Order: sequence, then structure tokens, then C-alpha cells
Amino acid sequence: MESQIHKIHQQLMKKEISCTNLVQERLDLLKLNTHNTVNSLLDNLALDLAAKVDVKIANGEEIGLLEGIPFGIKDVYMVQGTLTTASSDLLRKYKSPYTATAIQKLLDAGAIPLVKENCDSFGHGSSSENTIFGAVKNAINTDLVSGGSSGGSAVNVAKDYTVFSIGGDTGGSVRQPAGYNKIYGLKPTYGRISRFGLMAYASSTDCVGPIAKSIEDIRIVLNVMSGKDVKDQTTYQSEAISEETILNADEIKTVGYFKNFIETDAIDAKVKADFLASIEKIKAKGIEVKELDFFESDTLVSTYYTLAMAETASNLSRLDGTNYGNRIEGANLKDTYSITRSENFSEETKRRIIGGNQVLSQGFSDEIYLKGLNLRDQISENFEKDFKEVDVILSPVTPNSPPKIGDSLKDPLAMYLSDAYTVGFSLGQLPTLTVPQGTETGLQITAAKNNDELVLKFANFLKDTI
Amino acid sequence: MSKIMTVDILSSIKGAKESEAVGKLFETIKNANTSNNNAINANHNNAVSLDELREDIVIDSPQAEKEIIIENFPKEKNGFLVVAKVIEE
Repeated sequence: MESQIHKIHQQLMKKEISCTNLVQERLDLLKLNTHNTVNSLLDNLALDLAAKVDVKIANGEEIGLLEGIPFGIKDVYMVQGTLTTASSDLLRKYKSPYTATAIQKLLDAGAIPLVKENCDSFGHGSSSENTIFGAVKNAINTDLVSGGSSGGSAVNVAKDYTVFSIGGDTGGSVRQPAGYNKIYGLKPTYGRISRFGLMAYASSTDCVGPIAKSIEDIRIVLNVMSGKDVKDQTTYQSEAISEETILNADEIKTVGYFKNFIETDAIDAKVKADFLASIEKIKAKGIEVKELDFFESDTLVSTYYTLAMAETASNLSRLDGTNYGNRIEGANLKDTYSITRSENFSEETKRRIIGGNQVLSQGFSDEIYLKGLNLRDQISENFEKDFKEVDVILSPVTPNSPPKIGDSLKDPLAMYLSDAYTVGFSLGQLPTLTVPQGTETGLQITAAKNNDELVLKFANFLKDTI
Repeated sequence: MSKIMTVDILSSIKGAKESEAVGKLFETIKNANTSNNNAINANHNNAVSLDELREDIVIDSPQAEKEIIIENFPKEKNGFLVVAKVIEE
């Protein structure tokens, strides 16, 4: 699909549409939608900003490319003065005191925020069913889950309720819902975009990620949000990616894929056949394809979840109702903490906090947590070795098609295992993009660290190849 | 500290119990082969260099931020913010 941002920009400049009408139309769609994508609408703010854009255009002033473009925000980002619930009871009435750096950059560029979007509570889930606002329904088939945790964001983009949305990806939470709803979703290299103002789930893999309908829109939004931020000291300075450079993929000579992802009983037969057919089409273009060895899926999933649970147990320990959140008073202070947390966290969030505290406690940490860290190092080393052999790695996004609503909550282990193809790249902190092609739930393109540009180049190549 | 702390106390969650699904993940880790090198974090070195450390200064929050922080406080009485309970032990 062509760039929606460029198209709307032209329409605004030529006065074919007014920004106010555009924003009102999208707000109406969001309000009436039955996919449960909305936690709160930012209608007053959005309409005020839209009116200002219209005044500028009426006065014949130039507007920036993102000026007046309506977008959505996963409800785990701080936007000053707006409710930021993380889809949880604990923060149901919590108001952001400040704005996340990534979102502030979009606001500074003139983009218009419409909605705080439904998601799994604190990012804990792969289906967007772990939420107090009702399970998010898939954009294509409403009996199925939207994927998660950025499910509301993916569905809003897929249904054209927002032009783009900002999700968060810790273990696949942008890439998997993008795949389930047949759109693009990028997890950039860890540190490319500031995490300041994104509620922390697992800090060592949390990434801000754009979701959109075209590669060009992903590129535009990525460029605006990227850069070093003194408020997140893991960020680094990156070069802007130009539109022209990503149109030519001639430098990509070798593509790899993980043999064990494909040669397993866990993958759906059609996903496997479609993936291998895509590989054949790539070969037919004269690109060399190499089979690569990788860790077993259950090792990847276990390593990721062990570390993510440890980090989330630590990050969420601050949520005790003392300074904010839905405090429930008990007999004494400790009782107040534990009642507040027991009553306000979902079952899945509690499961992860408990698991995290387990692995961090004496007697477990050596055997599980430190071993998990060691495995993570091995996974990273493996990637470094691979990227000496190949330019990009291609993989399916998920082993299976989206489950029905209700099924994932019954079987948490099955839900964890459905993340088998996404979590490894999170542990490696690598740039990975979901493209809506190749298999029913799309394909993932991964490149070496800081090489987000190459991922976008290959996406453009695939668009014309398969 | 010799006192054994159970997961419900560690997590401040009443009735917290270890989960079977999570236990299976931990078993996989226990049984995985790990390398002998002890270079923990060798490949994901995100630490900031000493030269780039943020200045150690207190930055005053804008008034709007302060007002929302107060608004978020769970309880207020006669203009005072009320904490849950005092630590008694």
C-alpha cells in the first residue's frame, strides 16, 4: 500500500480535506467501533490541534509532513494529562504527569493523538485479552484475537481508524499483532528510540515500535522518534533513513533462515509451506539462501520469559498504591500493599510477578536466572556469528494462525510458546519488522544491530518479489 | 537473614502460588546447556560510559506535573495527602 502519510499530507495541502473533518471522522470511527480498541479518546485535544493546523493551512503557511496526521498510542505511554491505565484496575484512574519522549517528538512534529489504545495489561500477554477493557477483536475475523500485547494499536491501523499507531514490543508485542492483522510493525534496534515515559515491563528488551500500513510510513515515524535522550541512557544517536536509500536492495546478497523454526511439528503445515514458497521466490531473484542453526524454541521462550518475569517483578514492585493507583486500605502497611496488589493485578500479571520473584530469590537465582542470562549471551553470540554469514534473517512471525478469543487465557504455556519466533530477536536487541506477506501471519525480517535501514530495504524488495 | 520468605510475601500478593506453566519454563532453563564463559552481559552492553553520565543535579518539575502528581495521590484530607499506614515494626 502507498504511504497514507504522504497522501493525507497532499490532501491537506491542496485543501481537499480539512484537518478538523479528518480528525472528527476518525474519532467517530473509533467511538463506534466494536473491536474494543479504545481505552480513552483524546477528542478535545485532537480537535484543538486539528483546528490549529487548519488555521495554518488557511493562512497559506507550510505544514510539516506529520502535521495533522492522526495517530494512536498504546495505553502504556505517558501523555501529560491523559489517563494512562496500562489496561489495569490498579491504574484505572491514573493520569500521566508528563509525556513520553517518543510521543513528545511526534507531537512536536505536529501529529495528532486520537486515542489511548487497548492492550494486554502492562504488556503481559500475546492476545490482548488480559485487559479490563474487554478482549480486542481481530480486524479481519472478530472471532479471533487481535494478538498482543499491542492489539488495539494493530487493529486501529488495520481498520484505518488511525493512520499509524505507536505500540511497545518487549517479546513480540508489535510484530505479532501486526502479523495477525496483516499490516507492518517494527521493533527497532534496542536503544534507537527512547523508552522514557513508556511503562517498564522488561527494561532490557522494551522497545517503542511503530505500526502502519506501508514501509514508507514506518520509515517516517521511525525517523521522527529516533535519537539519543538524556532521560534514557540506553539510547544512541542514529542516522535518519532516507526514502531513496531503502528503495534499492542490491546490497542484500544472502538471506538466512532458522532450519529448526521450520522443521518442527509445532509449525502449522500451511505456514511452513507458504514460508518455503517465499524462500523459493527469493532464490529465484538470484539471492543466496542459507539454512542456519539456532536454539530450540522452548529454550528461547523459557530464556525470554525467565528474564522478562524477573525484570517485571522488579519494575512493578513500585505499584503498591502508596503515591498513586487504586489503594485498598488494610490492617497495616504490608497488608495494604498486598491487598492493593492482589485485588488490582490480573491473574497473568500476578503469575509473572510471582515467577519473577521466584527466580530472583535465593536458591533459584543461580540455577535459573543467572543461567538465563548466560543463555541470552549465547543467543547474542549466535546472532553475531549469523550476521557474518548472511545480510538478513527471514522467519515466520508465528507458528500458527491467530487463536480464537478465550483460548489463550485457558492455557498460558501455549500462549508463551506461541511467541517462539519473536522472543529470540528481542533477546538479541535486533531490528525486526513484520511484513504482511508470505504466510497467513506475515514474515519477520531481521538484520544486525543498528541496521534498521537494511530491514526496510529488504521489506521493499519483498513487496515486489512475493 | 535466615527467615525463608515465601512468594506471596516476596511479591506482596495475597495467596500467591507458584504456577505450573511458569514452572515448566524454569525446568527448560535448568536442563539447558550453558557455556562455561562467565562473561555475563558481554553482548548486551548498554551501560552508559562515564563521560556521558547525566549531570547529578536536581531538576524542578513543572507546576503542571506537580499538580497531576498530587491529583494521582490516592487519599487527601483537609489539604493533606494521607499515606496508607505508618510502618509499625
